[in-house]
Amino acid sequence: MNKNAKKRTVMRRVLVLILSLVIILPLIPYAVALVDGPGAVPNPGAQLWNEVRQRDGASAGVSQVQAVDGSVFINPYGERWRQFRMQQLVPIGGWLLVGVTAFIALFRLIRGKVPLEGGRSGKLVPRFSVNQRVVHWFAGTIFVIEAVTGLVLLYGRFVLIPLLGPEGFSATAAASKEIHNLFGPIFPLAVVLMILLFLRGNSPNMVDVKWFAKAGGLLKGMPASSGYYNGGQKSWFWMVVVFGIAISGSGLVLNFPVFGQGREIMEWAHVVHGVVAILFITASLGHIYIGTIGMEGAIEAMTQGYVDANWAKEHHDLWFAEMEKAGMVGVAPNALEEVKRHDDIDFKGFGSPGAKQKEG
Amino acid sequence: MFLEFVEGPLWYIALTIFVVGVVLRLLDVFRSGVRTDLAPPRREGLGGALRTLVTRSWTAPGFTRGAAFHLVAGYMFHLGLFVLLFFAAPHVLFIEERLLGFGWTPVPYWAFILAANFAFAGLILVWLRRVMHPVMRRISTLDDHLAVILTFIAMFTGCMALFQHHDSLRAIHMLTVEVLMIYFPFSRLMHAFTFAISRSYTGAAMARKGINA
Amino acid sequence: MARMKFLCDAERCIECNGCVTACKNENEVPWGINRRRVVSINDGSPGERSLSVACMHCSDAPCSAVCPVDCFYTTDDGVVLHDKDICIGCGYCFYACPFGAPQFPEGGAYGSRGKMDKCTFCAGGPLPDNSAEEFREYGSNRLAQGKLPLCAEMCATKALLAGDGNVVSDIFRQRSVGRASPGIAWAWGVAYGKPGIRSGRDMSGKASSEE
Repeated sequence: MNKNAKKRTVMRRVLVLILSLVIILPLIPYAVALVDGPGAVPNPGAQLWNEVRQRDGASAGVSQVQAVDGSVFINPYGERWRQFRMQQLVPIGGWLLVGVTAFIALFRLIRGKVPLEGGRSGKLVPRFSVNQRVVHWFAGTIFVIEAVTGLVLLYGRFVLIPLLGPEGFSATAAASKEIHNLFGPIFPLAVVLMILLFLRGNSPNMVDVKWFAKAGGLLKGMPASSGYYNGGQKSWFWMVVVFGIAISGSGLVLNFPVFGQGREIMEWAHVVHGVVAILFITASLGHIYIGTIGMEGAIEAMTQGYVDANWAKEHHDLWFAEMEKAGMVGVAPNALEEVKRHDDIDFKGFGSPGAKQKEG
Repeated sequence: MFLEFVEGPLWYIALTIFVVGVVLRLLDVFRSGVRTDLAPPRREGLGGALRTLVTRSWTAPGFTRGAAFHLVAGYMFHLGLFVLLFFAAPHVLFIEERLLGFGWTPVPYWAFILAANFAFAGLILVWLRRVMHPVMRRISTLDDHLAVILTFIAMFTGCMALFQHHDSLRAIHMLTVEVLMIYFPFSRLMHAFTFAISRSYTGAAMARKGINA
Repeated sequence: MARMKFLCDAERCIECNGCVTACKNENEVPWGINRRRVVSINDGSPGERSLSVACMHCSDAPCSAVCPVDCFYTTDDGVVLHDKDICIGCGYCFYACPFGAPQFPEGGAYGSRGKMDKCTFCAGGPLPDNSAEEFREYGSNRLAQGKLPLCAEMCATKALLAGDGNVVSDIFRQRSVGRASPGIAWAWGVAYGKPGIRSGRDMSGKASSEE
């Protein structure tokens, strides 16, 4: 009885042990594997899919197909670029353009055309040389061509396809693309010429701070003092320099896809190009408005090269005072005088009266 | 329909007016003849004519600085236009198929585009100079402006058609080129041919007088 | 409606480039255009793996989203196609595509891009099915003939699968179950090269150890 009970107890314990081992032993490899950690021997399959999903950024493999980025499994930056273009550049840029246009319209409604308070004096003051005007309109022509074609490519899908239909817009977009790409490389030349001819007089100073504090004299009865260039013109010049260099550089990267630059470089170049283009165009709207229909007597500076003395007095009083001192007010737009000022031709040979006077 | 008209009948009309007009105008120049010079010539005229053809491609001594703008921008435009007109692959193909029956080796695409860059930049610059410069503006006539504008439009539409996949864009380019060709013999665009005549005439006349013009 | 999908089994792909060749031959694509390519990682080392990559016919296709002329469309079979008569060759689809599927013949200023070309899942384009124009512009339209893409049909190891997404994923699931799940106990780490269990012999990868 006692023996049997003992035997039974032992058997029971052995049974429990066996059962326990049956359950536990198969688990040992699991335990070992768990202790070693999953990364001890990397599974090539798992490694492959990590690369495919680009968990560590874009990495290159090897491919028999020779092409730009041909050996990259997945370009993880494409989606980021798509989000930038479709969620940020297109809507924010669009609202910025519409908003600034609306702001200018509102300014027009409230302020109206900025008039010449003193009317036209009939006396002229020389302002921009022939070369300056040529370069200005050269840059302006290229800029407008690039801006219009660029906006067609950016917003045409939303604005022009409903109007022109898919085929019509395809032709428009193809033409825009070719014009944009062909005129693009001319723009750097225009920017360089702009810098060369307009750098002088464009360094900022304290007068500009006061000018900005008085809102540029755009408000009625609040004239702001300024020299040859005012604060707004100076900021526009420096915008042209900075934006012009950025947009030219990024544009050249985008325009020449033959130098093996990969998608990531192209995407970044596109981001720079898009952001700068929107800012550039937005700023140009203000420049174009105030330079043409927004202000009486302003456009002549860039078309004729002369401004009315009253315009100079009202908008660039410090410069006007200088010009008055130098006896340059009231200079008539006489062809020979103009040529003398603008060209480097030696007029002695022609026996012009001006040249003789100088000699005497 | 529009494309067929532009590439068919209108092309032949424009070509006829261009060729006949140019030939008539050149005949007119030659028919006016040379005034008889009774003085014995100091030198043969031919050498002087050839000389002037070359020397007049640059400015007179002392004027280079004053004419630097015209030299640079003018040559940018004219050389660019020459390359893209006669050495662009689509143009060579057109000349081969529609005009001469034979073609020549075109320049590579990038050179064609580079030439177009120069031509556009040069054309815009010289025209702006014409409008902005007080003397240039005063001596320019409607003909000068019209010639520049028509040339620019023809080049611009050609640029629009660069993708070469849209017949409508090619038709627009053909149309503007045909307008330019019809206008050509009636305008100062004739300088494309007459520059050689006037230069060599001057050179020959001066050489007979013993002067290196 | 069936939703067409490609699936490449990395455990089977042997980088023979048969799919690339089949595609080029079937669709007669021009020089320099590769609608499909095989990419390998760890090439020549233990753990080398290859995948055949082409247009994966995304549900929310990035190419279609960024196209400035909106030339992409998705067929009832879930195949992403594009209209070459609309395409202007700007290259934006190539920037947005994760797989590098869009290809461009040279054809514009400074060797810039002509009209985009990409894998059509052998489904042609918007032109009439199996017409000469369709073949010239887009290549073969096997789907309209009731056949599947030739790259997958020609795959020697049946690594590349193409067809209805449900069927393809069922086939792959069965394979994976038979192969045991990649993870800890019965899979790679234990079967090959666990230092403590397999006496230090490195058998990882299909290539032999360099030691």
